[in-house]
Amino acid sequence: MPLKNGHTQPHTSASSWRWALLGLALLIAFLLPWPLSPLWIRIATEVIMWAGLAQSWNIIGGYTGYLSFGHGAFFGVGAYMTGIVMLHLGWPFALGILISGIAAALMAVIIGYPTLRLRGAYFAIATWAFGEMIRQIATILEITGGAFGMQLPAYLNLPFFYYLFLLVTGLTYLTTYLLLERSPFGYKLLAIREHEEAAEMVGVDTVIIKIKAFALSAFFPGVLGGIYAYWVTYIHPDSVLGAQLTDFMVVMAFLGGIGSLWGPFLGAVVVQLVNRVLWLVWGEGTFYLVIIGAAICAVVLFIPSGIIGLLQSRIFLPGTAWKEIRKKVKW
Amino acid sequence: MLIDGLLIGGLIIVVGIGFSLCFGVMHIVDFAVGEWVMLGAYTGFILVRYFGHDPMIYLPLVFLIFCALGWAIYPLIYRAVSGKRHNPVLMGLVFTFGLSILAKGGALSVWGYHIQSITTWLSGKSLALGPLTIPALRFSGFLFGILITLLLMLFLYKTRLGITIRATAQDREMANLLGTDVRKVGALVYSLYAGVTGMSGILIGALFSIHAAMGVKYCTLAFFVVVLAGMGYVPGVIIAGLILGLLQSFVGVYIGGRYNLVALFMVMYGVLLITPKGILRRGI
Repeated sequence: MPLKNGHTQPHTSASSWRWALLGLALLIAFLLPWPLSPLWIRIATEVIMWAGLAQSWNIIGGYTGYLSFGHGAFFGVGAYMTGIVMLHLGWPFALGILISGIAAALMAVIIGYPTLRLRGAYFAIATWAFGEMIRQIATILEITGGAFGMQLPAYLNLPFFYYLFLLVTGLTYLTTYLLLERSPFGYKLLAIREHEEAAEMVGVDTVIIKIKAFALSAFFPGVLGGIYAYWVTYIHPDSVLGAQLTDFMVVMAFLGGIGSLWGPFLGAVVVQLVNRVLWLVWGEGTFYLVIIGAAICAVVLFIPSGIIGLLQSRIFLPGTAWKEIRKKVKW
Repeated sequence: MLIDGLLIGGLIIVVGIGFSLCFGVMHIVDFAVGEWVMLGAYTGFILVRYFGHDPMIYLPLVFLIFCALGWAIYPLIYRAVSGKRHNPVLMGLVFTFGLSILAKGGALSVWGYHIQSITTWLSGKSLALGPLTIPALRFSGFLFGILITLLLMLFLYKTRLGITIRATAQDREMANLLGTDVRKVGALVYSLYAGVTGMSGILIGALFSIHAAMGVKYCTLAFFVVVLAGMGYVPGVIIAGLILGLLQSFVGVYIGGRYNLVALFMVMYGVLLITPKGILRRGI
C-alpha cells in the first residue's frame, strides 16, 4: 500500500512555489482584520480556531489511524480549566491556557493508556463515552457552575483574540509539519496506521508512540478551548462540551482529507464558512446536523481522500480535469 | 431494586445482541445503534397516533419496516467498508457516525425537542409475585427481551442460515472460499439487527420517554454491554446486559442518577484495563 505523503519531494521549483503561496496566505491572514467588520472578524476567528481543532484531531485520527470521537472533551476541559484558573485562583490568562493544554494532554494519557493498546474500534468507543462522561461531570460539579456554566471576566478585544488564535493554530500546523511530516516520529505513526503488527515487529514501541500522539493531539484543543472561554466569556456544558464539537472536527478533517497537512485547514474553511452563511440566512436551527451527517456519509462513500486528494491529482492541467475527478471520485 | 435492574437489563440485551452480531459478522461498529432505537420508538408513536390500538400489536410491523430499512442501507455500508480504502474498519465507523448525526438531526428538525411517551394497556399496572410487586410493563419488556434473545439464539445455533452466519463471523475469508455469499450474509445480519433494535425501541419508548436526542443514551448502553461481553461474543451479551441493569439501578438508588454515565465509564475503563476481551475473555 503506498504511503500517502505528498510532502517529501526534494526542493524543486514546485516546492518553492508552495512556500511563496504559504507566505502570501500568512500575509493575508495578518492583514485580514483591517478591512473586515466586527462580525466578519468573529467569523474569521472561528474559522481559524476550527482549522486548529481539525488539525489536532487529524494528528490522532488521520496520521495515526485511531479515531477519537470524544475530542470535544479536551476542548471543554481546556475551556473550564482556564475559567477555573482565572476565576477561582485569580491567575493570569496566559498561565491559564498553558495549564489547560497540559491538563488536556494529561487526560489524554490517562484515557489512552488502556484504550490505545486495543483495536481502533475500542478506542473510538472509549473516547466517545469519555466525552459524554466529561459533559455529565461538568453539569454536576460545583466548581464548573453546573448546568449554568461560568462567567469569565470580559476582555473585548477582537483583534487580540484573532491573532492569538492565529498564533496557536499556526503552532499546531508547524508542530504537525515538523513532528509528523519531517521526523522519524511521523514515519512511526504512519507505520502504525498502515500495519500495526508489522510496525511492532520492526521495533516501533507502538503503545508509547500512540500515547504520545494522542497527548499531542489533545494539547492543542486544550489551549484553544482556554482561549475560546476567554473570548466568548460565558461557557456552559453544551457550548464547550457538546457532541457537535467532535462532529465538526471529524467532518472537517474528513472533508478536507485526513492524514494530510492542509486537508483539515481546507475542510475547516469550507465547513465553517458554509455553516455561518447558513446561520446568517436561516438563523438558529438543527437542520445543520442533517447537512453535516449527509456530508460525512457522502465523503466516506465518494471521495475518501477528501478535497486535498482531489487537488493533489492534476485537475488543474488543461484537458485532464474531468478524467482526474472521475478517477478520484469513486462511483 | 435488584429485580428492577434485571428487568431493564432484558431490553438492553436485545439491543446489545444485534450490535454484537453486527460487529462479529461484518466488523462494523454501528454508531447509529441509538438512532435505530429512537427511530423505532418514533415509528411506534406515530403508528399509535394515526391508527390507534395498542403499541404492542405494532411490534411485528415495526420489525419488518426496520428490516427493510436495514436492507436498503446495507449496500451503502458495504461500499464504505470495502474497496480500496486505507482502513475499512475506520471508514465503517465514520460512515455510521455520519448516519447517526443525520438521523438525530432529522429527528430534531421534524419533531423538535419535545418529550413524548407511548402508553400501552400495561402502563401503570403491576403484577404481584409473592411479596414483590413488579410493574407489568417492565416485566413484559423483560419477557420480550428474553423471548427475542432465545429466538435469535435458536436461529443462530439450530438453522442452516444461522450456522452460515456464525461461520462468517469466525472466518470471513474461509466462509467466502467455501461458497458463502459474505455480502448477502452481511445484508441479512444488518437487516435483522436493524429490525430487532427498532422493535425494542417501541418498548423502550413505552418504558421511558421518547425524544429526538435519546439515541446517545442507548448507544452508550449498547457499547458498554458489548465491551463487557467481549466484542462480537453474542452469549456474553446476556450476562453483561443483566450486570448493566443491576449497576444502573444500584447507582440510581445509592449514588444518584446523575452519576450514571460516570459509573458506567469507570466500569468500562476498568474492564478495558483488566480484561480487554470482556469479562468472559471471549471477545475478538
